[in-house]
Amino acid sequence: MKQGQLLGSLEQIVLLALVRLDGNAHGMIVRREIEERTGRNISIGAVYATLERLEEKGYASSFTGEPTPQRGGRAKRLFRVEAAGKRALQISAQTIRSMTAGLNDRWGTT
Amino acid sequence: MRRYSPPTFACWLLESVLPDPYREAILGDLIEEYSLRVDSTSPSTASRWFWSQTCRSVPCIAWSSLRARNCFISISTAMGVYIFMGILKFAADLIISNLVSLDQTMQVVLAPIVFLMTTAIGGCVAARIRRGATIFLALMVTITVAVLIDLKVCSIPVPWWYQYGFLALGPLAVIITPALFGRLKQPVT
Repeated sequence: MKQGQLLGSLEQIVLLALVRLDGNAHGMIVRREIEERTGRNISIGAVYATLERLEEKGYASSFTGEPTPQRGGRAKRLFRVEAAGKRALQISAQTIRSMTAGLNDRWGTT
Repeated sequence: MRRYSPPTFACWLLESVLPDPYREAILGDLIEEYSLRVDSTSPSTASRWFWSQTCRSVPCIAWSSLRARNCFISISTAMGVYIFMGILKFAADLIISNLVSLDQTMQVVLAPIVFLMTTAIGGCVAARIRRGATIFLALMVTITVAVLIDLKVCSIPVPWWYQYGFLALGPLAVIITPALFGRLKQPVT
């Protein structure tokens, strides 16, 4: 990841979902994981658009699975996190930690 | 046991509008999830969910395609087909005016027929060359009709809905016709 280039919030969430799913996940599984963990009901289109962007940046990679009858004979597109994606997540997490350090009292947390 | 299929029109819409890298994956995911939701909830709830995903996904993907480099190929294709549609409409108008004498009523009747035929053919040609081009072509048709309405080029007195019918049906014909006549795979649940 280039210096100063942070992941967008949805990019971060999708990458984290891919790490959690540990390996080969398709869009709907990623969407479900995000909905279960964050309560955000995002569209499958938004998930795929983000995955495509992450792939272009080299943070994730994809390959086509086998078509199945349950999917109307359509193939799955499976995604996995690349090493660059994991590094980008580490940098993002580190940045958030640095910026939020000591701010708990100012947020008025209980 | 009865087998349910996802909303056909939503499938057509996705099939026509989504560009190549997304189409198979998104449709497959939605169909798979739909059948799971039919089992866990009800067919009507699952259909509502399918429609909501369709309506929310199309703008995201369209925007993503616009940002991607390959959108220029789709825009160029749409431009080419748009010019082809212009030539086709001009030729059709010329042939019709040579064959029949056009009074005002005849013009009012024939104009939407020629327009819809042209946009439908344009949509099919664009989809045949590049699926993603149909959305740009639909956009170009919408802008053209809106500009023509604004410029008040129609000299014949017609009700307001007549002109706005062109605005609504033109882009729809571009998007839906390729799905109707295309090689749509029927989803199986």
